[in-house]
Amino acid sequence: MRQTTSSRIMAVLVLSSALSSGCTRSIEVMPSATMRADTAPTSIASTERVPLILDQVKVSQNGAPQNPSTELDRRLLGSLQSLKLFSHLSLAEQRSFTDNEKAITAHLTIDDAIDSHPGEAAWKGFVIGTSMFLLAPVMDFHYDYGTQLTLELERWDGTVKTYQAKSSGTARYDLFSASPSMIAELKGHVMESGITDLMHQLVKDATFYNASSAPVTERTIHSVSVKSIRRGPAAVSVSTSAPVTSR
Amino acid sequence: MLLRALWLFLIAGVMTTQVQATESIVPQITVGTQEVGLSAGYLLPHRLTDGHTTKQQGVAFMPSWMMTVTDPMGDSWYRGQVSLGAEVVYIQFQEPFLTHGMGFTPKIKYTFAAHDRIRPYAEFAGGPFWTDLAGKIPEESSRFNFILTAGFGCSFFLTPQTAFNVGYRFHHISNAGTRYPNLGLNSSLPFGGFSFYF
Repeated sequence: MRQTTSSRIMAVLVLSSALSSGCTRSIEVMPSATMRADTAPTSIASTERVPLILDQVKVSQNGAPQNPSTELDRRLLGSLQSLKLFSHLSLAEQRSFTDNEKAITAHLTIDDAIDSHPGEAAWKGFVIGTSMFLLAPVMDFHYDYGTQLTLELERWDGTVKTYQAKSSGTARYDLFSASPSMIAELKGHVMESGITDLMHQLVKDATFYNASSAPVTERTIHSVSVKSIRRGPAAVSVSTSAPVTSR
Repeated sequence: MLLRALWLFLIAGVMTTQVQATESIVPQITVGTQEVGLSAGYLLPHRLTDGHTTKQQGVAFMPSWMMTVTDPMGDSWYRGQVSLGAEVVYIQFQEPFLTHGMGFTPKIKYTFAAHDRIRPYAEFAGGPFWTDLAGKIPEESSRFNFILTAGFGCSFFLTPQTAFNVGYRFHHISNAGTRYPNLGLNSSLPFGGFSFYF
């Protein structure tokens, strides 16, 4: 009787441990190589702040162009807002500014790399199925996600500063613990790590974005006529733009 | 009677499923997306040798669960995803005797994802199968058997989460030589059903 009870307890323990280990998952985010933890918090006096306009966001996934999302725009603007370097943040379509206004124009490029290890997943799936799911707790799947963020900030005088950050992570999961939210969590962590790295780099150049750091420029259009010496076709008109420093 | 119930189920499913605008029907199936489905069909016999004499046939019901384990891979017409899961197979043999069969089969499926709403797939499944038809026919002697299934089908997405499936499967039932005679039963199974993704 006692032996039966103990064997039942053992069976319950084995079953529960197998079930619990069959529903485990973890997310590992690799720290960015350029990330520095010793960045001192910097901000600009409110009178010296200029607006920042997020002009363009380009997203690609494994080299293929993707549609950018408004959530991503908001997330980046939120991170920039928390730096307290800019007076106002907006999307290009929300706000237009005059040529004489001092403003920073931002361009963001996101290059995502995703590897769900399809070949490995297929044969592991076959093995798990063949074992009638008995091997599901011990055979885990991997999902790699990496992103490279390039942020270009163009000052009102045409000077461009480029910041780059790389971040990557891996989700490890068992068959029964997989879910789309797990992948969303991984992407969220990796993206956050990349954006944080970008912000750390940006803060170091805080003085570059001071309103008094450079005079405002005007962009005027000049028309140049190019005329051939020999007799021939009519002159070709070429339009170019050139910055002119205002006083 | 069962076939009528099946058709009623299919028609009710189509009528109650809200059809959305084409551009909003593109399903977002990624790693971790689960699929539960119910398919039904009618089993038709194949007598491949002179020793096969039984014309077994009947309705089959197949509730299933699948887990998507890859994102879409490939860039050409073969772009697709692998999913893994299990299926319960119930067959009510109506010929030559009213008997029953039930099995549990792990299943692997490759779904072609090159098109948005229409997604062909190939599937393979196999597992234990119990039937009381065995012993009453000359081909099979033991009630404990195995069932192997290979087939193809097509999913038509009515909403991003709901798909109507039609397809064909080839079934082989035998006992892996554990008892003789063991000629095996071979059948075709055209089927239809619904899948829900979450």
